[in-house]
Amino acid sequence: MASVDTIAARPDLQGPAGAMKETWPEWFDRHSRHIFIWPAVLMILVFAIFPTIASVIIALSRIRFAGGGFQVRFVGLQNFARQFVGNDQIHFLGRFNQMSALGWIVSLAVTAAMVWWFVKFFKGGFNLVGFLGRVITAGMIIGLTLMFSGTLLSGNAWGTLGTTLFYVFVGCSLQFLIGLGLAFLCSMPIRGKSFFRVVFFIPLMITPLGVGYAFRMIADTNKGPIQPFWKWVGLENFSWAADPWAARIFIIVGDSWQWIPFIFVVMLAALESIPRDHVEAANVDGASSWQIFREITWPQVIPIAATVMLIRVIEAFKIVDLPNIMTSGGPGIATESMTLHAVFAWRANDLGQSAAVAYLLLFVTVVICASFFNYVVLKQLRKS
Amino acid sequence: MSAPAKYDLSRRSLFERLFEPPRIGAMAPATKVIVYTVLGLWTLFVVFPIYWVVVTSFKLPQHVNEGPVYIPFVDYMPSLHAWQALLVTDFGDTLRSYINSFVVSIGATVLCIIIGSMAAYALARMQYKPKLGIILTFVAVLLAALVVTILAGVDWKLTMAAALAVFFFLARALGKHFKATLGNGDILFWIISQRILPPIVVIIPIYLMFQQVGLIDTHLGLILAYTVGNLPIAVWLMYDFFSGLPIELEESAQLDGATRFGIFWEIVLPLTKPGLAATTLLVLILNWNEYLMAVFLSTSKAQTMPILVAAMNAGDRGILWWTMCVVIVVMILPVIAMAVILQRFIAKGVLLGAVKG
Amino acid sequence: MAIVNAKVPVTFDKIQKSFGAVRVLEELNLAVEPGEFLVLLGASGSGKTTALRILSGLETATAGRVLIGDREVTNILPKYRDISMVFQSYALYPHKTVAENIGFPLKVRKVPKPEAEAQIKDAAAQVQLETLLHRYPRELSGGQRQRVALARAIIRRPSVFLMDEPLSNLDAKLRGHMRAELKHMQQSLGITTIYVTHDQIEAMTLAHRVAILEKGVLQQLATPAEIYNNPGNLFVAQFIGSPPMNIVHGELAGASFLARGTKIPAPVKGRIEKATLGVRPEDCSIVAPSKGHISGEIYTNELIGDHTLVTVKSDQDFLAVKASKDFAGKAGDRIGVNFDAGHSFIFDAATGARVR
Repeated sequence: MASVDTIAARPDLQGPAGAMKETWPEWFDRHSRHIFIWPAVLMILVFAIFPTIASVIIALSRIRFAGGGFQVRFVGLQNFARQFVGNDQIHFLGRFNQMSALGWIVSLAVTAAMVWWFVKFFKGGFNLVGFLGRVITAGMIIGLTLMFSGTLLSGNAWGTLGTTLFYVFVGCSLQFLIGLGLAFLCSMPIRGKSFFRVVFFIPLMITPLGVGYAFRMIADTNKGPIQPFWKWVGLENFSWAADPWAARIFIIVGDSWQWIPFIFVVMLAALESIPRDHVEAANVDGASSWQIFREITWPQVIPIAATVMLIRVIEAFKIVDLPNIMTSGGPGIATESMTLHAVFAWRANDLGQSAAVAYLLLFVTVVICASFFNYVVLKQLRKS
Repeated sequence: MSAPAKYDLSRRSLFERLFEPPRIGAMAPATKVIVYTVLGLWTLFVVFPIYWVVVTSFKLPQHVNEGPVYIPFVDYMPSLHAWQALLVTDFGDTLRSYINSFVVSIGATVLCIIIGSMAAYALARMQYKPKLGIILTFVAVLLAALVVTILAGVDWKLTMAAALAVFFFLARALGKHFKATLGNGDILFWIISQRILPPIVVIIPIYLMFQQVGLIDTHLGLILAYTVGNLPIAVWLMYDFFSGLPIELEESAQLDGATRFGIFWEIVLPLTKPGLAATTLLVLILNWNEYLMAVFLSTSKAQTMPILVAAMNAGDRGILWWTMCVVIVVMILPVIAMAVILQRFIAKGVLLGAVKG
Repeated sequence: MAIVNAKVPVTFDKIQKSFGAVRVLEELNLAVEPGEFLVLLGASGSGKTTALRILSGLETATAGRVLIGDREVTNILPKYRDISMVFQSYALYPHKTVAENIGFPLKVRKVPKPEAEAQIKDAAAQVQLETLLHRYPRELSGGQRQRVALARAIIRRPSVFLMDEPLSNLDAKLRGHMRAELKHMQQSLGITTIYVTHDQIEAMTLAHRVAILEKGVLQQLATPAEIYNNPGNLFVAQFIGSPPMNIVHGELAGASFLARGTKIPAPVKGRIEKATLGVRPEDCSIVAPSKGHISGEIYTNELIGDHTLVTVKSDQDFLAVKASKDFAGKAGDRIGVNFDAGHSFIFDAATGARVR
């Protein structure tokens, strides 16, 4: 006995061949595989991949705004060459004259270490991808060491590349140590843990601009709140923004104020996620608090520490807001990060150079972060 | 029987006596002193700049220029002069910036979370196998099109149309010959690694692109740019949360006849509320505070609050610290409100889980 | 070879523990003999784990004293109590090898390496783990991990062993095997052991004496045989024994127990209006409906193998009877249940106390 609900009895549900017509939700469902993922993929293609490729072309040309549009002239690698050996070498790499003895020693030591690294690699069997990866990483390390030795260690000023690396390495190391230290203290049985957790998190939520201007106000040795202290120490009229190294430290203080909370929050959660059993067993086994930290807690926390530092380092390379407003990149170019360098070039209407510097930043970031990921993070993750 | 020698408490070193806790779950007095002192100092370091900003927003120019004054009503009389200047005199500008910030941040966050969650869910639950050959072809065609547009000066609409046509033709013709495929993991890695891309690299072409289609200084333009900037984070975090859900729930819903979208909306999303709230808060904060893209992509009508902050640096007149502090305070308040609202949904382990993944 | 310490008694003296307003342990008084294997038995929430943790020092008692030997350890850190503990989850350090896990107690006490290595090998040999010393915990099976935890506990030859449900994460077959190993090890080492479990079979097979806890109160402290054959109250009677003791509610009138109109001879004399009669399934027998102390109908038959477990429904009560393996009754048959008065127990329904 056929019920009235069969398809045959419902012409309104039938498509051309008499088969069941598909409703909108069903069409959506059938194509859900694509509907779910394509928006994200498309947006990234259009707004990230496409511009990145376009940027290459811009970096290889000279663009002038003319009339309503712009005219483009292909100039090959000229924009890049300028950064390394041309007019902008001082801006980008730094001033080179005579390499000091210390510079030579450091360069040779690092080169020797790289050679030793390669020897170790070859001993373990050769594979092409590993080899190429190591070539790039070693090349970058040696190149940066040479720049470092030639400028800083030889008593000269360095350029935006050096400044950026300073922010990344010195800044992030400091932030990691302090963040970890605070997390360790907060993981103890203290009262008001949630108070500290909330309060310490606040700096992350404040716009970097606000942070920069706030610190500029506070660090003012003349009118800032710490003025009595500066007066007592004799630095009353000292201008942070006038001394290269003081300015750089100034930026790192501001950057750390904002980013230590990030490391603090993650490391605190990591420390608290150590199973209570392990700590109790270690206590019964006779370990002191320090021994527990060193033997039980820290090894389990290393993978997370490596990952969070990778994230932090990736972000740190992009630093621009703080140097921009705290010191405008000054004095001279002492605090100018590479992103800021590119911004200034754009403002000066030299789009080609801007894109070239941006690309160099991308290259340095990718090589360093990929190396860190490959040789440090993955090693840690494989262990656990 | 008295204690064996090694368990005798009277034989501890001085260091142990000072720092050993009296029992599990407590701290030795010396430890307490050090811990609370350090935490207290850091709290001071964190709170003081904020306090200073708030206090300065109530100062008159002479309070700032003559030397530091610390406590309102004690060191100086607070005045609403800066607040008045910003909220009454310049109300139009201020309000516009505020509204722009709201519209762009919330719009970008909503778009980012929707697109990001959908993509993350797709990667967590569906299998994709894009062919490597097709992808390389696409990139090659795109590169050619760009070269032609930029260097040969051909109209971009023409080259884009031609490029798409060429690509589809090649894909059809050569598609069968490409064998190597990528998987979900590769797609995920690709999306997340976009985070390494410094915005400055893409901002210039995006500026030129937007100029061609008239998206400069519009809400839509900013929303699109902000969304893409934070998409990697959204996808990454949501992917972790989705893959942590037991798949049996969705499988039984499928057996009951629910559609993909129904499962996503009715079952999966409610279960990941804490993670969703945390991700939304993070993306919202990042969008709210964004400056670089706003500088490049807006000129007057769509300017957001961070630009208003920077505008207080009037250059020739020196920095108007008092009004700037008002703007900063006004910027911080909604963020704190958002954090308080969404805080209920966030468990402390949420961010950790994401980093572990 | 490590020297075995002298056997040490353990004393809980008026131990109380509250978490905020919740009383978890009510004045516990317990004296453990030197070298004894004492099992703390109870359901979850009974306070048994809390008592163990107070003994270990991981929790602090709200009141009372703990003594190990004649030394009061109530307020000393665990590491000074000369104890070791095996956790339910084994708590093996995941990033250390088996050898490093076992040797950890020695490492934190700065025992010199050669001596430590010898002791590690010795402890590993005692649990048959010599070949796995270089593995990591994630590469081991559940039983192997448990043995690592055991080795780590015995390496120092402490005065007291504490064990918190160490066998509950193993599958049934392995559990039986490890039970025998644990018993043998404790007997050969002679170290006073306090063992927490909710499994009555473990308690009965391993313990010299069993301390049953319920809601923070010690119900009975006696040998397994005593607990089985001479339960001190209704809770103990029903907790021990599988299948559980049969319970009939009624009234004790003189020398008889009145239930549902029938008169059952009672093992003791007394007058209690609300009383409970208990009798174990193996002490019951199936008889014709009119001849039994209690009559009802068969609810189910289950052939266990060496006997048939017959569940009899009488009014609203269910009684279990162990019948022969050839028992031929069917569900629904009317039958009677008989038992010897000497094998039954009378309890006061209000307090649960055994009436003697």
